[in-house]
Amino acid sequence: MSCQRLKSWIEERYDVEGIKSLVAHKVIPVHQYDIWYYTGGIAMFFFILQFITGMVLSMYYIPHLEHAHKSIIEIVTKLNMGWFFRSVHHWGAQLAIIFVFIHVFSTLLLKAYRKPRELTWVTGFMLLTISILFGLSGYLLLWDERAFAAVRVATGGAGNLPLVGGFIKAFLRGGIDVTGETLTRFYAFHVAILPIITILLTVIHLMLVQMQGMSIPVSIEKKQHKTMLFFPNMFYKDLIIWLIMLGIMVSLAVFFPPEIGKKADALAPPPENIKPEWYFLFLFQTLKLFPGEILGLNGETVAIIIISLGILFFFLIPFFDKKSSRGEPSPLFTWIGIIYTLYFVVMTLIGFVT
Amino acid sequence: MKINYSLITRRTFLNTLFGGWIFAMLSGSLYALLKFAFPTLGKEPDFVVLNANDFLNIPPNSVKPFAWGGKLGFFFKKENGTTTALKGVCTHMECNVTYKPELKKFYCACHKGWFDQDGKNIEGPPPKPLEFFDIKVENEKLIVARKGFKVELPKA
Amino acid sequence: MKRFFLSLILVLSNSIFLFAEEKIEIFPSVPFDQFIVYQNLAIFWVAIIGLIVIIRMKLREFERIQKMGIDKEEKDIPLLD
Ligand code: FES
Repeated sequence: MSCQRLKSWIEERYDVEGIKSLVAHKVIPVHQYDIWYYTGGIAMFFFILQFITGMVLSMYYIPHLEHAHKSIIEIVTKLNMGWFFRSVHHWGAQLAIIFVFIHVFSTLLLKAYRKPRELTWVTGFMLLTISILFGLSGYLLLWDERAFAAVRVATGGAGNLPLVGGFIKAFLRGGIDVTGETLTRFYAFHVAILPIITILLTVIHLMLVQMQGMSIPVSIEKKQHKTMLFFPNMFYKDLIIWLIMLGIMVSLAVFFPPEIGKKADALAPPPENIKPEWYFLFLFQTLKLFPGEILGLNGETVAIIIISLGILFFFLIPFFDKKSSRGEPSPLFTWIGIIYTLYFVVMTLIGFVT
Repeated sequence: MKINYSLITRRTFLNTLFGGWIFAMLSGSLYALLKFAFPTLGKEPDFVVLNANDFLNIPPNSVKPFAWGGKLGFFFKKENGTTTALKGVCTHMECNVTYKPELKKFYCACHKGWFDQDGKNIEGPPPKPLEFFDIKVENEKLIVARKGFKVELPKA
Repeated sequence: MKRFFLSLILVLSNSIFLFAEEKIEIFPSVPFDQFIVYQNLAIFWVAIIGLIVIIRMKLREFERIQKMGIDKEEKDIPLLD
């Protein structure tokens, strides 16, 4: 290359060699579970794509009670390729959340959260929550009947939490009910607040991974295993997978563009059999398991408390799992991990089918 | 050493191919993105407003060009005095067409396509008739609009 | 099975009647535009697969060099400028 002068300009000022040798020495362990190392990268790739498509979509979207629904219809029907970018944004979101879930469950089952990587788990869990909030807030922006009803249900569900519930509900809704206030609020979440938090957390998450290297499952930690260089080997493999994912996303977007329902009307009855987005189905399904009243208490509230406790435990697993922190196998937590995973998958499937 | 030699060429070859390919893919995607982000890019206007005096007085059986966005439009007065406007772009591969008053036909030189007075494709490769516009005269202004488009001029 | 299909058809036809007018076009409706969309999708996939093939070739190249153990030396080669 003929940018020798530019190169030396930079090299004189910054420690490029240091970074280069850092990259050159980063290695990735190679073993039978190394396929799961790619899931985080895939999730990040989808997040990047979401940022890009989101930026262009936000140029046309109008976050206002009267215009929101219409502006999306304009995007889809009038603008060059508007239908495509909306569809890509929709499918990118679905895939991003799918891979965030795969990533978190693989981390759980391979016990990659164990010492010294507890904080990586914590930041990762926060990113999972944020992905879901992204989904919820983005869904409402469509402002059609279904989205309206779904958000009403979801924020109402949060309202059933004891003590803080009412506050959370009011904070999310920006009022007593889901209104135009909620729309602008969710817009702010979706395009300003959540993205910044996401970037921050992702940077921390990645730095932690960078500092500590990849975790190797307990069962094969002691064995000798091969390594490969991050650059170029892993990097190019990542690239291949990203390309395939890109193709899948674009194909989904072309073949299954998401529908737009009728404009939301706060006074109209909700449409028949509304279902939340798929990543809420397991919660939805769990709520159904509980009777209306338990020991004189509101069944909803009990259910929500139990779910919250389950999620809290999930969040704190690295701190409870003492055995694997010491590098010993801990079958108890393997089972807990399997139960969590199965519960999520089965409940989601049941929710789909019914 | 022979290996060394072949090694470098193969690597540079691959790198060039890789870089070029990525560049092509990125620019393709970027083009789509820009087309969405800047809607006027490659998009035609819904209507244009012209000065009526410049156009209404042309002799019968003649055309006068105007700018339809970035494309050619024709104001067209037929022999019997009726006026219309149309897009002067061939429906085959988007060449500009010309009007031949002697034959009362539109002609596209690119692949010898012919259209009659009403824009019908009568000869040659063009697959569709020419696109006609709605015209309206409103105090000194000639408004040419896409068929079926309701023009709402801002009250000046 | 038959009942299922019947009900499915019923539901579908119902929705067609209901939404016949307000169905929002979420995909280009002109066949020609649709054709272009599918064509572009095919081109996109060809591009992706081509790129993957190139990356695989590159990867194989790296692995070959790494096996020969000569990737480390590269730093010491003096730069011709
Ligand atoms: S472009 Fe006009 S005939 Fe081909």
